[in-house]
Amino acid sequence: MKIFPALTSLALGAFISTSAAADDAAMIEAGAETFSTYCATCHGNNLESSGQTFDLRKLRASERGRFQNSVTKGKNQMPPWQGVLSEDEIESVWRYIRANAYEK
Amino acid sequence: MKRSSFTAPLYLAGVFTLAGIAGAAAQTTADLNKDQNTPGDVLVYGMGPHGQRYSPLTRINKDNVKRLVPKWSYSMSDSNGAEAFPLVANGMIYTTNHISTVAVDALTGKQVWKVTHDYPPEILRIVCCGIVNRGAAIYEGKIIRSTLDNHLIAMDAKTGKVVWNVQSPGISAETGYSMTGAPLVADGVAVVGVAGAEFGIRGFLEGFDAATGKHLWRQYTVPAAGEPGHETWAGDSFKVGGGSSWVTGSYDPELDLVFWGIGNPAPWNPRGRKGDNLFTNSVFAVRPKTGERVWYYQTSPEDPFDYDAVQTPVVATIKVENKPRKVVMQANRNGFLYVLDAANGKLLAANAYDKMNWADGVDMKTGRPNTTESFKKALAGENVTIWPSVTGSTNWQHMAYSPKNGNLFINVIHVGMTYQAPEPPKNLAMGKPTGNGTVKRTTVYDDPNVLGFLKAVDPMTGKAKWSVPYKSPNFSSTMVTASDLVFTGVMTGEFQALDAKTGKLLWSFQTPSGIVGQPITWEKDGKQYVTIMSGIGGVYAMRSGDPNLVNVPTGASLWTFGLFDK
Repeated sequence: MKIFPALTSLALGAFISTSAAADDAAMIEAGAETFSTYCATCHGNNLESSGQTFDLRKLRASERGRFQNSVTKGKNQMPPWQGVLSEDEIESVWRYIRANAYEK
Repeated sequence: MKRSSFTAPLYLAGVFTLAGIAGAAAQTTADLNKDQNTPGDVLVYGMGPHGQRYSPLTRINKDNVKRLVPKWSYSMSDSNGAEAFPLVANGMIYTTNHISTVAVDALTGKQVWKVTHDYPPEILRIVCCGIVNRGAAIYEGKIIRSTLDNHLIAMDAKTGKVVWNVQSPGISAETGYSMTGAPLVADGVAVVGVAGAEFGIRGFLEGFDAATGKHLWRQYTVPAAGEPGHETWAGDSFKVGGGSSWVTGSYDPELDLVFWGIGNPAPWNPRGRKGDNLFTNSVFAVRPKTGERVWYYQTSPEDPFDYDAVQTPVVATIKVENKPRKVVMQANRNGFLYVLDAANGKLLAANAYDKMNWADGVDMKTGRPNTTESFKKALAGENVTIWPSVTGSTNWQHMAYSPKNGNLFINVIHVGMTYQAPEPPKNLAMGKPTGNGTVKRTTVYDDPNVLGFLKAVDPMTGKAKWSVPYKSPNFSSTMVTASDLVFTGVMTGEFQALDAKTGKLLWSFQTPSGIVGQPITWEKDGKQYVTIMSGIGGVYAMRSGDPNLVNVPTGASLWTFGLFDK
């Protein structure tokens, strides 16, 4: 049985009692759901890529603009999501990815 | 046509010319029906209308298979999954991917023609499981294929010139429909299915005149109000009920029945669609000319686990209680191997062929699964561990059947899951996601180094005569020959031949990417060849995060092998 990093970070989140952290945890959880609905198809369940498509956990904090561009306009085989995903949903997916990124 | 204006000799000459254009060996219904016994060509998905993936050829055998070498390879110029079934006719190999159809000289590997089918990028929003196409059909000199944007296109087999191009009437990507499967031509009708049970479609199977593209019929898989079976859907849940038909079926000319597997109910989360959800997860037998459903058999009523019944039903005459009987066999995604009477759908056997815990056998009288406590808890929203996972004990990859040794050769996925269906989703609509995001799950393994097996299985008992473990599950289809060789591909790129009697590995060749394709074999000028596509992709490679695959590059190519000439 595998333990996923997403679950680990959610569990850790529960121990931090400030409301800002709680908001962030809620955002990350919402992002996980949006990711599961729209993105996991190509980018892997729970962000786990098996190497054939872009591993989103490689995204760095400075790459928010690049992320936005790919999501809204599409890239290579990725369809554009403008008009399907709201700005809030895109932000929540970004937070979810960053919470699980290789480089914090 | 005014015949009177022709003089007799001119009229005859005209007939000869027409025959020449259509190809001296146009692929008639009679030719398609006997495809399995004419190994000089491969005309029907599954190597014959029965879908057995069995070849009578024996030139390549256990004694010489070690001398199998590549004759040529051809680039598909594509980084998506190569899942197509190649066809062989007129000295050419025809194959497809999501965006093109190609004809390649069968002996040299040189491209003869290529047609591209561009589509708007937004289409890919509703493609759940890989940007793929699983192959074409051939009929009377035309190559016929479906496209992601729900077109059916016929091309001249010699030139690639488009003969007709029709759209499936009244549906669109906006409402969740796409097409990835190969058409099956049965008695002159091109039968095609749709994908989209992960996007709230109302599924169907439909038939087009293979000569003209004229739409002939549509058989819905989810009944509308007033139709039989409608009562098996709670409230308005039928409106986004799923029941796709994305994997190609089989055909028995004698019974004149097309057998086709029907996909999962939508959404995956079952809590808002109480009832059996007919006719999702069923095997259909339909008349190719009219689409009339002659019988059906539902494998997984009220399914929480995406247990599509889409696997190609394989037709064969086997011994049942010591009497020969024509049956259809399906290694279902739910873990049961079903044997049904081909004429009437009567259940003859249903046995587990891999680990499962959602049901404990099938009631042979009612045909219903004996569901377990785990299944009932899953419906109630509790967190449970379930085998097999949503990927199934098989997925779309096809099994082969050898009438010579009586076994099925099945690439089995050995993966379980934790599963929970939260509060049922609201605001469901056609074209909106109804799959993965509606349930919560994680992956469970017995042994992280054994996620799949190739098994030789007895159809009536489900018991394996032999079983070969694989680190990642094989999503390649299998093929078996009269010389008792089983061919399959591996996710990490190996193309393999195994002994059909023992499972012993006899030959392996490393192709440039992972294999999720379909092996075929054929002969020309007294020599036997084996052809397969390489190119990782599809649902498992994209979703699973399998660490065994991180060093498998993408890149689709077509390969043909033959014995090394001394």
